[in-house]
Amino acid sequence: MIGNNLKIAWRNMANNKLYSIIKIGGFAFSIAICILIVLYIRHETSYDKMYPDMDRVFRLIVSAPDGDKVRQTFAFPAPAAKTLQEEIPSVELAGRILPNTLFGAGSNLFTVNGHAENYLDKGFVYVDQSILEIFPLPVIQGQLSHALDKPNSIVITKSRAQKYFKGNAVGQTIYLNNNKNVVYNITAVIDDAPNNSSLYGYDYFISLAGEPFYPGEQNNWGATNYITYVKLRENTDIANAQRSISKNYIQDHYILLNKKNGMKISPEIMQSTVLLQNALDMHLRSKNISEYGTATQYQGDIKMVWVFAGIAFFILLIACINFINLSTANAATRAKEIGIRKTIGSNRSTLIMQFMTEAICYSLISLLIGLLLAFLLLPLFNNLANKALFIPWSVGYFVPALILSMLIIGTLAGLYPALYLSGFQPINALKSKSVTNPKSSLLRNGLVIFQFSTSIILMISALIANQQISFMLNKDIGFNKDQVIVLRGINGIASQVRELKNELKAIPSVSDVSISDYLPVQLEGAKRNGNLFWAKGKEDLELGEGGQFWNIDESYLTTFGLKLIAGRNFDPHIASDSTGAIVNKRMIADLGIKGNPIGAQITNGMTWTIIGVVDDFIFESMKDEGYYPLCMTLANSTSMLSIKTKSTDMAKTLADINTVWNKFSPNQKIDYNFLDAGFADLYQDVQRTKNIFGCFAFVAIFVAALGLFGLATYVTQQRTKEIGVRKVLGASSVRLLKLLSGDFIKLVFVALIIATPVAWWAMNQWLTDFNYRIEINWFYFALAGISAILVAFGTISYQTWKVIRANPVNSLRDE
Amino acid sequence: MIQLKNLFKWYNVGGTRSFVLKDVSLDIAEGDFISIMGPSGSGKSTLLNIIGMLDEPDEGQYIFMGENVLEMKAKKRTQLYQSHIGYVFQAYHLLDELTVYENIETPLIYKDISSKERKAIVADMLDRFGIVGKKDLFPAQLSGGQQQIVGIARALAGSPKLLLADEPTGNLNSKQGEEIMDLFKQLNDDGVTIIQVTHSEKNAEYGKRVVNMLDGQLK
Repeated sequence: MIGNNLKIAWRNMANNKLYSIIKIGGFAFSIAICILIVLYIRHETSYDKMYPDMDRVFRLIVSAPDGDKVRQTFAFPAPAAKTLQEEIPSVELAGRILPNTLFGAGSNLFTVNGHAENYLDKGFVYVDQSILEIFPLPVIQGQLSHALDKPNSIVITKSRAQKYFKGNAVGQTIYLNNNKNVVYNITAVIDDAPNNSSLYGYDYFISLAGEPFYPGEQNNWGATNYITYVKLRENTDIANAQRSISKNYIQDHYILLNKKNGMKISPEIMQSTVLLQNALDMHLRSKNISEYGTATQYQGDIKMVWVFAGIAFFILLIACINFINLSTANAATRAKEIGIRKTIGSNRSTLIMQFMTEAICYSLISLLIGLLLAFLLLPLFNNLANKALFIPWSVGYFVPALILSMLIIGTLAGLYPALYLSGFQPINALKSKSVTNPKSSLLRNGLVIFQFSTSIILMISALIANQQISFMLNKDIGFNKDQVIVLRGINGIASQVRELKNELKAIPSVSDVSISDYLPVQLEGAKRNGNLFWAKGKEDLELGEGGQFWNIDESYLTTFGLKLIAGRNFDPHIASDSTGAIVNKRMIADLGIKGNPIGAQITNGMTWTIIGVVDDFIFESMKDEGYYPLCMTLANSTSMLSIKTKSTDMAKTLADINTVWNKFSPNQKIDYNFLDAGFADLYQDVQRTKNIFGCFAFVAIFVAALGLFGLATYVTQQRTKEIGVRKVLGASSVRLLKLLSGDFIKLVFVALIIATPVAWWAMNQWLTDFNYRIEINWFYFALAGISAILVAFGTISYQTWKVIRANPVNSLRDE
Repeated sequence: MIQLKNLFKWYNVGGTRSFVLKDVSLDIAEGDFISIMGPSGSGKSTLLNIIGMLDEPDEGQYIFMGENVLEMKAKKRTQLYQSHIGYVFQAYHLLDELTVYENIETPLIYKDISSKERKAIVADMLDRFGIVGKKDLFPAQLSGGQQQIVGIARALAGSPKLLLADEPTGNLNSKQGEEIMDLFKQLNDDGVTIIQVTHSEKNAEYGKRVVNMLDGQLK
């Protein structure tokens, strides 16, 4: 029986090629997308699961009230980790990570064993020995235990060991940034952190055991720069541990010591607590935690994981609906067969079996093709989602799980058509009387509306995300990001940097050159320095305003096109400018400086006299406020150099710059970036969201169109005779086209009406993530609607034209 | 073999009943060859379909080989149908996607007959109707007469006691029609009870008895 069913299923597929292709194609496409999304979700939820005992490893979070919101950060003072380990019995291990570029993490120039060549590489980070024990990676060379106990020891990854040391790295030494006074000893080589590890992106782990970054730094409870982890002892009550850690840190140390140092304690700090964030939650549940520029890798979002899961589910649902729709729409052609089978002795259950076999065949073939498609689309998807996913053939459950799920999906999708088709009355079926009831057409129309609603929602989402991204990229941000080239790693020639600047400036197509590591765009390696500021004389009265403190040179304003609205620029020839400051408008406002700000004094521990005020410009992500108080002083920070060019011949300019570079630094490759590209990179995740939604929208509309094609086939078949009669009576083709298309277009309209509020709500939610956001434009709803209607019209016109152009004699002779 | 008692079948059109069958009673003995005649719309096909258990009357009684068909469960009826009734149609109604061989085999599959036995029966049928050479062809590759012969072979594969034929020669030319009718006569001689619906006086003459119908009633 099974063999017979399979044979018939195969012949039916082969006989109705177009129909089978649509059915399988739609299914396979959806399956491919679902496989990709499942791989994505699987990766997103796999972060840090490769490490042991993650159930008792936690990152410390400070949670403090901030107006009517709660502000969470993971920045802790240097002594916190050690103190907790000593004073809280349930803490087995505590460790710190310092990824702050201000202290030399991030990008660095380095020299191997005192050789002449300089290399610029990123991925430098300061860690405690205990971090390597909490997040252990396989050791390739050397010993992991005590690897970072001694000052100036460094552990590097396998890929770096191979790249710079030909694999044999332990025992070798490096200098950083031409500083020959500090020699770093490589004590161990570990495996590269997998891309779903929190340590991913770090390749050089420098010991924190060395000298403090400034005198007293390691005992300073006031400066919070360290990300602190704890590993609790086994069977520890987490809530209790959290309480005692919170009390120990906030009450016993932070408040006490800062009071002792004469700092004011705000009510916010009094109310703040320490939370333990489980290490497995770090990737997906940190959206609300401020990062202070410490994130080295793409941060996930549990919300997006759910959205993706939802989309996968809907696409699969659409595919199943299609399958049902196409199967029942094909009923008319199957009716005769069913009638015959019944008259020669088949009972209903036999027929159901036959149709189920067919459905499962379709789904398994679709699975095969879908898997192939997923395989082919994977590189594209990886590119879109910025992932390195692969199809886990080697995972034992993968193939059986796929087959099982396809059996289930095939059964679900095949059940309704099987019940429906097998229920035909044989006599009616043979006489090709209408075998369908009006109820099922209601169902079919409902399914089409559902499909198109989903597609339209995705389309609108993609369009609005696109509008938001172009809004951000084109917004007036208050500085000039175009045609600015940033050279990095110039600290290799720090002593000659003035000469370098002058020679670069002499290039005809260069209009200005500025030396500063503090860029308005946070490129890799660009620095940030958060400080508290007071108006001079109010230090004891107020809590201070958080702001940025940057070192710039005298050509910074002109290079980046910052607008000076009061006072003047720095002049290196005026000695007093070394204590002068140029601040932004926001600083004046937030510090409450009244009257003429020029000459007013502000302090962040040191005192600065304001000589100029610039208009506010956006130097942080536009998802947040984008800017806050800023104080710029005239001082050296010599690892980056920005070149403003005026030429349109960028290749020539770059070649000229390269020539100058090679003259100064023959042993180091030039490393440059475009500022506007770096700016666009800030919104890569938004760009990704847009692209992904765009692709999903395309898939959804494609699959929905296939479904509509099936429905159109069915309805036009049903109405063949009616059309014949109308033609004989003299109806024109246009009139008939209107008649046949009208019903379908109506469905798409209904779908648009359903989709509009849903899409509006969803995208409004999405846009709340952005401080600088667009207002939703009705134009995009219209655009999505029109596209859907055009797609629908295109889809059905093949069928309708076929019927309209047919000779009515043929359709009327059937009686 | 068959007793039909006071069969009524109607459709409700507006408020009034439109009768297709009106008080039809008929006895058919085993070995009979009955031709039902009458103009279009007189109810011949409906009567045949009721006898063939493809349709049900709204009122009346149908006894088939001593059993009350209308009170039977669907499964039992299918069984009864499978083992005793064969159907031949005017439009042949072969399964397009199956070969001649497979068409004849299909009812046997439904009867759960073993594959070995099926082979024997189908071979026997192909031989008996002289279509051995055509066994791997699809219906579309056959002439109308040949298709009808396959249809009859298929109807007879399950060795039914009763063969029902709805205008079996309606789509055939006269020579092909004669061949089919000769075949029917021969089958009847071999003991198969036959009921055919026909327009043709000439075909009706092959039968032992003619039943005339008009407006849903026997004349």
